[in-house]
Amino acid sequence: MNWRLGFVVTAAACAVLPFVVPQHSLTILVEALILGLFAMSLDLLVGYCRLYSFGHAAAYGLGAYSYALILTYVPLPLPAAILLAVAVTILIAIPIAWICTRSTGVSFAMLTLAFAQLGYAMLFRFRDVTGGSDGLVGIPRHPGPFGVDWFQGKLGYYYLVLVCLFGSYLLCRAIVRSPFGAVLAGIRENEAKTIALGYNTRAYKITTVVLAYGFGGLAGALYAAFAGFASPELFFWLTSGRVLIMVIVGGAGTLIGPILGGVSFVFVEHQLSQVTDLWPLIFGTIFMAFVMFAPQGIWGILTSRFRSRREVPGSDSGKEAPGAAT
Amino acid sequence: MPLLECRGLVRRFGALVAVDGIDLAVEPGEIRAVIGPNGAGKSTVFNLITSVLKPSAGQVIFAGEDVTGMPVHQVAQKGIARTFQLCHIFPALTVRENVRIAAQARDGRRWQFLGGGGVLNRSASAADDAIGRMRLTRLADATAAMLSHGDQRLLEIAMAIAQKPRLLMLDEPTQGLSIEETGRAVQILKDMLAAGDLSVLLVEHDMEVVFKLADNITVLHRGRVIADGAPAVVRASAEVRSAYLGGAQ
Amino acid sequence: MNWLGFILAQCLNALSQASILFFIACGLTLIFGIMRIVNFAHGVIFMLGAYVGYTANVVTGSFLASLVVAPIVVGLVGMAFERTLLRHLYGRRDGGAYLLLTFGLAVVLSELIRLIWGVQPLGTGIPDFLRGVVIILDQPFPLYRLFLIGLGVAAAIAIWQFLERARPGLLIRAVSQNSEMVHALGTDVDMVRTAVFGFGCALAAVGGVLAAPLVTAFLGMGTSVVIDAFVIVIIGGMGSFLGSIIGSVLVAFVQVMGAYYFQDLALALMYLLMLIVLIIRPGGLLGKED
Repeated sequence: MNWRLGFVVTAAACAVLPFVVPQHSLTILVEALILGLFAMSLDLLVGYCRLYSFGHAAAYGLGAYSYALILTYVPLPLPAAILLAVAVTILIAIPIAWICTRSTGVSFAMLTLAFAQLGYAMLFRFRDVTGGSDGLVGIPRHPGPFGVDWFQGKLGYYYLVLVCLFGSYLLCRAIVRSPFGAVLAGIRENEAKTIALGYNTRAYKITTVVLAYGFGGLAGALYAAFAGFASPELFFWLTSGRVLIMVIVGGAGTLIGPILGGVSFVFVEHQLSQVTDLWPLIFGTIFMAFVMFAPQGIWGILTSRFRSRREVPGSDSGKEAPGAAT
Repeated sequence: MPLLECRGLVRRFGALVAVDGIDLAVEPGEIRAVIGPNGAGKSTVFNLITSVLKPSAGQVIFAGEDVTGMPVHQVAQKGIARTFQLCHIFPALTVRENVRIAAQARDGRRWQFLGGGGVLNRSASAADDAIGRMRLTRLADATAAMLSHGDQRLLEIAMAIAQKPRLLMLDEPTQGLSIEETGRAVQILKDMLAAGDLSVLLVEHDMEVVFKLADNITVLHRGRVIADGAPAVVRASAEVRSAYLGGAQ
Repeated sequence: MNWLGFILAQCLNALSQASILFFIACGLTLIFGIMRIVNFAHGVIFMLGAYVGYTANVVTGSFLASLVVAPIVVGLVGMAFERTLLRHLYGRRDGGAYLLLTFGLAVVLSELIRLIWGVQPLGTGIPDFLRGVVIILDQPFPLYRLFLIGLGVAAAIAIWQFLERARPGLLIRAVSQNSEMVHALGTDVDMVRTAVFGFGCALAAVGGVLAAPLVTAFLGMGTSVVIDAFVIVIIGGMGSFLGSIIGSVLVAFVQVMGAYYFQDLALALMYLLMLIVLIIRPGGLLGKED
């Protein structure tokens, strides 16, 4: 299927969705989109660089708390506050990225986890500012510059998140199809060779971590503004775990897969949690099954079946890295 | 002035001295082969030159610049391309993409993460050119992992030449190649050398290839240079013969 | 205030802490040595040990019984996991799969624990026969902590001798170094792997049983522990048994000193230590590199 067509159709479908579904589902829809964005941000690391981060919750938490804390000092309009929150997240991500990329594999995973745990501990240490285990409540959304306030209502906010998600997706897609993205593929496939070719892979990895934090922070800020609430749970290792599960089950390395993974996770969780208390267990088990038997994830399975019918790999066929084979 | 100069390179691994004071030079336009029995230190020398290993002592001078111990990627940027003994490619990517990434490596705008169409096109045509030269065009869209061992080695060489290096370092390029493939590789290298501004440093076990290609030969034995000169000279050297045929091994 | 006594008390404190850490880290490093994977679920295994130990204690009324039952049960769980699930990943090119699978195990196990035992922390406290204090240099020192030190030392010596002298121990070391060779000589390497994985889990479970009287069994006790264990293994060297002892002592001292001098930031101190170690040596300090 032509990618551009698919994109437009999906965008249009999402645009009309609020009018087709019951009003009360709108909250879940917004959460689903936010989580989809969060999952996609992690895919940059996991799917494209094979850097397994066990602490990506830190990006989410940083975005959320930055937004919240900024607003306690300066009543900025929503768009400005979110952008500023993302900027803060990116700034903090730079030293984190610098340190974590000194190692690979397990050490990288442990370092990212350590930073997330550090963030978690800091929240309790500075509980006067962060509200400790209670978190921050009553986080507002201020009308934008020139009195623009279509995003104040739930429907308006849905469209804001939709724009952010689709915009971020387009950005990420451009990144992975660029010369920069090709180097990430090289790092994923054979880092030693990539270095031998003359690429400073460390710099590429640092940049990717920072980008991932940026998009993750955006998701976090959008969440805080929506829920009006930020709690330490956002930094907890299980949050990192959930998003990792979304990426793997959705389909790492495809951008779309993790978005779908995030979105469906929210829906399934919502449905299942009403029926049974066992749903985290179920998710964990499904995750392990995918790791063992279907590491390419749901989207990977769907698209590979489609891809094998093509004669010649083109550049606009839905693959995410130029020249990447199944 | 030599393009590459190694002065007194030493590398120890604990008590083992793998490379013991080696002097080596490659002139512009020269093909120099490095030969020697197993364990003589040939691959170690390669790793020292490209900075994969840092020397315990000695210097590596490339185009007049001291590159000793520089980060690996920086040394490569100076104009050195190498292949590895154990073939190093990007298995899941297509042949064309493999070579394209190599060609992109010295492009000033390889950093671009939005757009970058210019870079992609430039490197793609450089890649197609290199692929054509290695006679791999029919495999350009195949996944690298699917290639035969011989073709993978040729792919690796294509990646090296796509970088438009000043010095091409080949580590046992014909290992595992059939006679036909070896002949093909030799011919291609000869054509390239006739065409341009390229020097080659070559580690090889296949003596026929060495004598067909090399202008000069450096013979290593137990980490030291025991002979250095034109093929005829080296062939006649008694020391070389004894090193290869056992002697005081 | 008796200065010398105080120092001694702090040292003994640290050593007792080191003892618990040793059980966990030793298991982790043995598993790495034999399988070249870091068992991310190790912290949760430790937690499982604490909970199983609690139940065993409640059922039998004996702390010592729980010290025997928990490792056996958890060891079997570990072996089952390795045999049925981890096996699938051998020969995969992507090392990340192990990481993800053991992570998945951590998630599943912690959920199971929550479902079976609930969210409230569970504690039986220090067993009666180990209660009380011993006066050393005018400082009261808990008997239980001395017991921990004794047990740790005894276990370290026992495992060391096992690896050095006993045939299965030598086999384990051989497989760690060159599994293909050992396989060619006729040994069932798969079985060795399963056994070592189970043993590593059992050791972590012992740590859990020992820790429970001090901190109670609670959800989340595994997260910081897995990072501690990882730091220890990095400091001591991945796969190095001796390193796990040295690392445990070092980390325990840092923790105890940190808790005394920095209180609130003690938690952060561990992470800072890990960062420092990994910054200095991204691959580890001694022993086999990753």
